[in-house]
Amino acid sequence: MNKAFETPDSAAGAAPASASRRNFLRGVPMVTAAAAVAPLPAMASTGKQQWAMLIDVRKCIGCQACTVSCIQENAVPEGSFRTVVSTYSVKLTDSAQPAGTYVLPRLCNHCDNPPCIPVCPVSATYKREDGIVAVDGDRCVGCAYCVQACPYDARFINHETNKADKCTFCAHRVDAGLLPACVETCVGGARIFGDINDAEGELARRLREAQPQLKVLKPELETAPRVFYIGLDERFTGKVEGQGTLWKPRSLPHA
Amino acid sequence: MKIERRELIAAGGLAAFAAGFSQTLGRMVANFTGPEDKKIAEGRHIHGRSAEPEFTVDPVTGEFTPNPNQQVSYTACLGCTTQCGVRVRVDKASGQVIRVVGNPYSPLSTEPHLPMKVSVKESLVAMSRFQDKGLAGRSTACGRGNAAMDQMNSPFRVLTPLKRVGPRNSGQWQPISFEQLVKEVVEGGDLFGEGHVDGLAALRDLETPIDPAAPELGKRVNQVGVLTSVNDGRENFSRRFWNQSFGTLNHVGHGSYCGGAYRSGSGALFGDLKKMPHAKPDLSNAEFVLFIGTAPGNAGNPFKIFGSKLAKGRAEGRLDYVVVDPVLNNSQNLAAADHGRWVPIRPGTDGALVMGMMRWMFDNDRVNAAYLAWPNLTAAEAAGEPSFTNAGWLVIVEDGHPRQGRFLRGSDIGMAVAADDRYKDADPYVIATAGGELIAAETATVPALLETSRVIEVGGKPVMVKTPFELLRESARRFELAEYSAACGIAEEIIIGLADEFTRHGRKASAVAHGGMMAGNGFNNAYAVVTLNALIGNLNWKGGFIINGGGFKDNGAGPRYDLETFPGQVKPAGTPIGRNVPYERSAEFKRRQAEGKPYPATDAWFPNAPGLGTEWFTGALRGYPYTLKALVLWSCNPLYGIPGIRPLIEDGLKDPKKLPLIIAVDPLINESNAFADYIVPDSIMYESWGFPAPWAGIPTKATTARWPVVEPKAATTADGQRIGMETFYIALAKAMNLPGFGPDAIADMDGKRYPLDRAEDWYLRGAANIAFAGKAPVGDATDEDMALTGVERIRPLMEATLKPEEWRKAAMIYTRGGRYQPAGEAQDAAHPEWQTNRFRKPLWVWNENIGTARNTMTGKRVSGCATWMPPSFFDGTPMRAVHTEADWPLQIVSYKSALQNSYSIATRITGLHPDNPVIVHPADAGRLGLATGDRARIRTPGGAAECTVIVHEGVMPGVMAIEHGYGHRELGARPHRIGDHTQPDRPDLRAGINLNDLGLTDPTRGDAVIWVDAVSGTAVRQGLPARLERV
Amino acid sequence: MNPNIVETLNVAREVAWLPWAVQYFFLIGLSYGAYLLSLPGIVFRRPGWTGISRLALLGALVCGLAAPVALLADLHQPGRFWHFYAWFTPSSWMSWGAFFIPVYLGGLLIYAWLAFRPELARHAESGGKLAGLASVLAYGGHESRGALKAAALLAFVGAALVALYTGAEVAVVRARPLWNTPLLPLQFFITAFAGAVGLALLFNRFSVRDEAANRRMAGVLAATQVLALAVGALWLALGVSGISPVHAQALAEVGPSANWQLSAAWAVAATVLTLVLAWKWPGSGLLIGLLALHSAWMMRWSIFIGGQEVPKTGAGYYTYSLPLGPEGLLGIVGTAGLWIFLFVLITTLLPLDRLAAGNTDKAAA
Ligand SMILES: Nc1nc2c(c(=O)[nH]1)N[C@H]1C(S)=C(S)[C@@H](COP(=O)(O)OP(=O)(O)OC[C@H]3O[C@@H](n4cnc5c(=O)[nH]c(N)nc54)[C@H](O)[C@@H]3O)O[C@H]1N2
Ligand SMILES: Nc1nc2c(c(=O)[nH]1)N[C@H]1C(S)=C(S)[C@@H](COP(=O)(O)OP(=O)(O)OC[C@H]3O[C@@H](n4cnc5c(=O)[nH]c(N)nc54)[C@H](O)[C@@H]3O)O[C@H]1N2
Ligand code: SF4
Ligand code: SF4
Ligand code: SF4
Ligand code: SF4
Ligand code: SF4
Ligand SMILES: [Mo]
Repeated sequence: MNKAFETPDSAAGAAPASASRRNFLRGVPMVTAAAAVAPLPAMASTGKQQWAMLIDVRKCIGCQACTVSCIQENAVPEGSFRTVVSTYSVKLTDSAQPAGTYVLPRLCNHCDNPPCIPVCPVSATYKREDGIVAVDGDRCVGCAYCVQACPYDARFINHETNKADKCTFCAHRVDAGLLPACVETCVGGARIFGDINDAEGELARRLREAQPQLKVLKPELETAPRVFYIGLDERFTGKVEGQGTLWKPRSLPHA
Repeated sequence: MKIERRELIAAGGLAAFAAGFSQTLGRMVANFTGPEDKKIAEGRHIHGRSAEPEFTVDPVTGEFTPNPNQQVSYTACLGCTTQCGVRVRVDKASGQVIRVVGNPYSPLSTEPHLPMKVSVKESLVAMSRFQDKGLAGRSTACGRGNAAMDQMNSPFRVLTPLKRVGPRNSGQWQPISFEQLVKEVVEGGDLFGEGHVDGLAALRDLETPIDPAAPELGKRVNQVGVLTSVNDGRENFSRRFWNQSFGTLNHVGHGSYCGGAYRSGSGALFGDLKKMPHAKPDLSNAEFVLFIGTAPGNAGNPFKIFGSKLAKGRAEGRLDYVVVDPVLNNSQNLAAADHGRWVPIRPGTDGALVMGMMRWMFDNDRVNAAYLAWPNLTAAEAAGEPSFTNAGWLVIVEDGHPRQGRFLRGSDIGMAVAADDRYKDADPYVIATAGGELIAAETATVPALLETSRVIEVGGKPVMVKTPFELLRESARRFELAEYSAACGIAEEIIIGLADEFTRHGRKASAVAHGGMMAGNGFNNAYAVVTLNALIGNLNWKGGFIINGGGFKDNGAGPRYDLETFPGQVKPAGTPIGRNVPYERSAEFKRRQAEGKPYPATDAWFPNAPGLGTEWFTGALRGYPYTLKALVLWSCNPLYGIPGIRPLIEDGLKDPKKLPLIIAVDPLINESNAFADYIVPDSIMYESWGFPAPWAGIPTKATTARWPVVEPKAATTADGQRIGMETFYIALAKAMNLPGFGPDAIADMDGKRYPLDRAEDWYLRGAANIAFAGKAPVGDATDEDMALTGVERIRPLMEATLKPEEWRKAAMIYTRGGRYQPAGEAQDAAHPEWQTNRFRKPLWVWNENIGTARNTMTGKRVSGCATWMPPSFFDGTPMRAVHTEADWPLQIVSYKSALQNSYSIATRITGLHPDNPVIVHPADAGRLGLATGDRARIRTPGGAAECTVIVHEGVMPGVMAIEHGYGHRELGARPHRIGDHTQPDRPDLRAGINLNDLGLTDPTRGDAVIWVDAVSGTAVRQGLPARLERV
Repeated sequence: MNPNIVETLNVAREVAWLPWAVQYFFLIGLSYGAYLLSLPGIVFRRPGWTGISRLALLGALVCGLAAPVALLADLHQPGRFWHFYAWFTPSSWMSWGAFFIPVYLGGLLIYAWLAFRPELARHAESGGKLAGLASVLAYGGHESRGALKAAALLAFVGAALVALYTGAEVAVVRARPLWNTPLLPLQFFITAFAGAVGLALLFNRFSVRDEAANRRMAGVLAATQVLALAVGALWLALGVSGISPVHAQALAEVGPSANWQLSAAWAVAATVLTLVLAWKWPGSGLLIGLLALHSAWMMRWSIFIGGQEVPKTGAGYYTYSLPLGPEGLLGIVGTAGLWIFLFVLITTLLPLDRLAAGNTDKAAA
């Protein structure tokens, strides 16, 4: 009788899974390993909270709960997005599996060296002490220079407020002791939010654990993003080379 | 002259300037006059129009401060049939829902879910940043769930009763009063100037047979049919009215065009083809799962919590899984690639794959024969097995024997059984022991001999018997692995690999299916997939195949109120319109038998199927088995959801002579109820009462409580009640003086009687039943619980309706959004590797009901165990024999949108994902010179549709994949005229295509009906023959 | 393009700098270019240049006055333009620009006034409806060379700063590789100047049709086109060879775009055509003038709008379609309207024919 089915406590005595995997499917290649690992910002000295996000791409199911909840929480107008989960069908050439799905949650990186800030002609966009890059809506002239300067397409002009808009890390919630909307409702549990300086905190702990696999988008620009990724494939760190989306803005008159 | 021209030019220039810069000017003015954005916090104004937080939690102390302007209520989402428990945040001033998240008490939204005794305040703190609790106890709502609530404010909502103006489906309505509505539908008359229409009062004929020559059809009351969707927790109320009070037999849901084939296949294994129990992988603990035609994290039920568990399992590295699917979807994730893989398959060939796996398992001793041999639960448990099968029970296989295909019974071999009990429950099944004895299976303490083909003596004649184990093995060995591989398009080594991997994880592996089984051989494929589980003995094991924990009953006969029965209730009887009963019991059969030719029948019958919405329309319009006089469509949309149905019934539905009365109860106008004579507005999403229970996959007992967390929007009756399904049915009952409604309709356990005049009379008492169910009642809700959740608003209602000792417990149910068994009780305390809520009956490796039923067109039998059969029409003709590959080189399949549900058109989703380009494989696109973004035409034997294509490798070559949820004609896609108001025209709501516009008819049934699976009667939407053309 | 990756779900970012921005950069470029063209005749009194320079100065004035209005419209909060002055931000070229524009425009206005004062006085003398106004504006009508030179110098400083900031503002945007090349300011400058010559050619054609001036300008235009082609070739060489990573990145980013290939081919063809015509048929003043203006505008359109059609993170390209309203076509028409209005207004006081005078006898007519 086959060992695998002995009962009850020997159920664990099954053959190791990994040995057989090769038999029926050559392992689907994981993300390319060569990518530069993102250094963890060392900023514990300020003593102040430093907000950051960790996105574990392996856990993302592309459900867009983050996208929609962000829209609701922040009254983001139709056709604009503070966050979105880009989804790709990727042909695999080195495995028995012909193609795979790659998902990539995108939002403002709250860069430590943010190109969007110096260009703002009126200093409306600035970095809060806690690391959140914000736009002062009372001051913004809506020139969209920051929109051009952000290398991540994270900003847009909000057609209802006529000001620059982007992810705020839900500062209004964070300041109230809550989680950002997208994090709170992340179905896959892919989005982790917290204070890098809180060594005991979930975020710092996970960042430490994941250190060797941590990556950021467009590391070559040295923007020092505060959004870190696990499972970030090299082909997706910058502008993606591929067939673009068919999405077009819906032709509804602007309110 | 010259000056004038210059002035003209200057003026023109100025005018152009003014036009071009008007907006700029407007904005300059708005800088001074525009409304100030509200300020959420002190300091710089950085939050734009973000909502105020619903409460504040001090990150250091955890101190909780509610926001008095908002209410946070626990109820259920209706964004899809998963019906998760959610937390709805309402702006009190406007009554608008701001956003939804998960309910941390609900196992459909949270793992592990909070115990009921945790106060509401603590449950909210548990979602905050305080001690990172919100990350650990994350409770979510998915993208669709977040977006679906837009329907509440949809400009397309029906808010008053509507009566059609002009012919059916003309899109013109007249608002009428509730009182007029009730009067007209009850009394009938010349309602539309088209002649007399019988009202419901006249149609409730409990005496006259439909056809005196066929008394088995039942009484005329059965000619009123009710079609509905998924049970949103209110079906019991509807059934109370239509089945028990009005008296019709015909009340059916959408199962036969949902995933009915899978459910039937599962029902065959679980031994109940009517209720069709089904199990799901224990994703929290599994090591390996094979998803064959169901896409975890992309769709599936439960969608969301399975998505969470899948993500967790694969990221932790505990879980490996394979998705066998013609289409790549969100269940695969390259970043976790080593743990989740996609194996493309040809549509409708899963049986070949699975029987191939089984063959290899049998040939390589990878079947858990020790487990299969236990013939009853007691013996199995003693051997450490929490479940058992009938794999060792003997089956009569003697050709031509009157009981061929049936199990050998004790009475057959001379055991003492009372004559009346013969072949009934008391007549035991029989096994052969190692010692060669034949003994009763139910009481055996030894394992059955599995390999025991033999000839025994029954009634003095030699009769060949075999075990289901042997029959299944024979079935698996009917084809070589290479043949299976050629049929399904999966390489032999992958089939072997899958079988190998599947049998390497002990009980922590399982195989499951769903929508992918909706092919022309769906039942067989599904039976095969679920049987895989029996072969490794994973049922009821932690990490294995687990059964739903079930719910707490609201409409039981207690413990507080009897909501189950009432004096004067009717017991409906007869033949259901979907003919899901044996043809052999019909008058037609007797007549034909007398004529010497019992087969074929006039048309198909489905004795092993549940109620069949798929067969309803064509059956009723053709009058086989009988016509419908009135049709009620309650929140369902068969014309959108059933492939191929529209062209067959469109004309019939339009014709009041064929179907005299159509009443819809629905908050929206959809593709189906657009044909109605009357539309009665129903409550939507967070406006309704109800007690839904998880569909499957939740090991602990769970009942979600829905209650109107916002004030419903529909108009009111003359006496001030909101119109909805319940209000309507109560009014109908009263107008017709029917039992079970009105004064004294409900009894408590002491026999004291209470009225059923309002929805609350029913649901609040249901809540009391739930609160008091089980070993001990739940605790009392506090004032604070009620204040925070807005349950305060219904407190007066509860106090007025329930007893003093009840109402705070009912309030407990509402403040927690339901009643939930503690998470820790998923596994049995005494056997930590066993599930607490177990399926205790045998798994039917051989199902005698299937194995003995005859095809009503050919009189032939089908296999009683899992087997491979290509997709076929009803009489067994393979689909490809009719629609050849030469004519129709491609096949289309449907996959659920990961984002959109057919229930509604969530505009925040279409804003992100506007339509559904059809996925075409590069090899197929290349032949036609098509590239991503091109327009093309899909043609099937059932229709044609123009689409946009997207070309990538994420689809099996030869297959085109259509995402379901787009291509609407209604739900806003067409503006209706209501009174003198015309709805907005929104072309974006018409975007994309619907596979169901391309569905097939069955040529072996005269092309008069849609193509359904011959056993389960379920609609075929997978593997439709097709071709693609350039436009 | 990499056909191995297909984006199945993503969203497009709208163009945030609208056609208004194109109009601004076009007009301000024409203005400072035309200003430069005004120097030889007016400040340096080079023989044969007077008419050219006076027409050019008119162009500088009309374009210079229209440009900031277009800029204002590109702000989504136009009423807050004063914020630029309240919150000077030295790290931002745009912030500097807010100060450079008034310097330039101030200098230009004084310079033009000083240059045209005698002309205004002449207008006042010759009578007519607007004689009174002309007289007031002429304020005596004296020629004051010293003041003129000082004002021209101020305007020069302003023009240089404007040319610098408009180029730098775009070139520093690392997020857009197409913009982020050191050659971009130079390309802006050359095309702006060529456009200005084109404008003067047009003015000449519609006033005195001075053939000598026409030929002179054709020569200058041919030179600009040679320069433009040289810089373009350098851009391409740097990109193709990979010597300069920023250029290589710019090329890599837009190279595969069919839209971009079309506009690049178009630009080269237009430049070569202008060059050939200006060189071989210098008399085709109207045509080469229009071509030069067209190239200057197209260059800005494809840099600004085309540049914004390149997703920074997503795959493929966005496709911009020009909206009809103020954020699109109407905006373009609106600035054109403003330009015409200003042109008519100014030429009513300073008729084109008279400005062109100085080279021919027709001028006095
Ligand atoms: N091609 C193809 N066809 C399919 C499927 C597929 O994947 N592909 N899926 C199949 C499946 S799995 C199913 S379950 C069926 C579903 O099909 P059905 O159950 O028949 O209907 P639904 O389309 O879910 O819509 C139900 C209707 O309920 C109403 N409604 C919407 N929201 C609310 C609400 O909040 N309250 C109330 N009271 N009513 C509401 C709307 O009128 C809506 O049209 O479709 C099936 N058809
Ligand atoms: N996102 C989302 N989730 C949902 C819903 C929704 O509308 N959207 N609806 C809910 C409802 S009502 C239901 S019933 C469940 C259904 O959930 P699922 O059963 O998971 O969904 P389906 O898309 O119907 O079918 C599953 C897969 O079968 C594949 N398939 C098609 N033909 C074949 C075949 O011949 N063989 C195999 N192996 N696979 C095939 C399809 O490509 C699809 O990916 O989802 C529920 N959850
Ligand atoms: S992602 Fe863009 S907007 Fe966000 S901080 Fe970085 S540069 Fe600025
Ligand atoms: S749009 Fe607003 S925030 Fe952005 S650069 Fe301009 S003024 Fe600054
Ligand atoms: S943190 Fe808030 S603003 Fe940023 S993406 Fe998430 S929900 Fe949107
Ligand atoms: S909510 Fe989480 S799992 Fe869903 S798409 Fe967003 S990041 Fe991915
Ligand atoms: S899975 Fe379905 S019920 Fe659950 S939140 Fe999503 S849409 Fe709502
Ligand atoms: Mo379903």
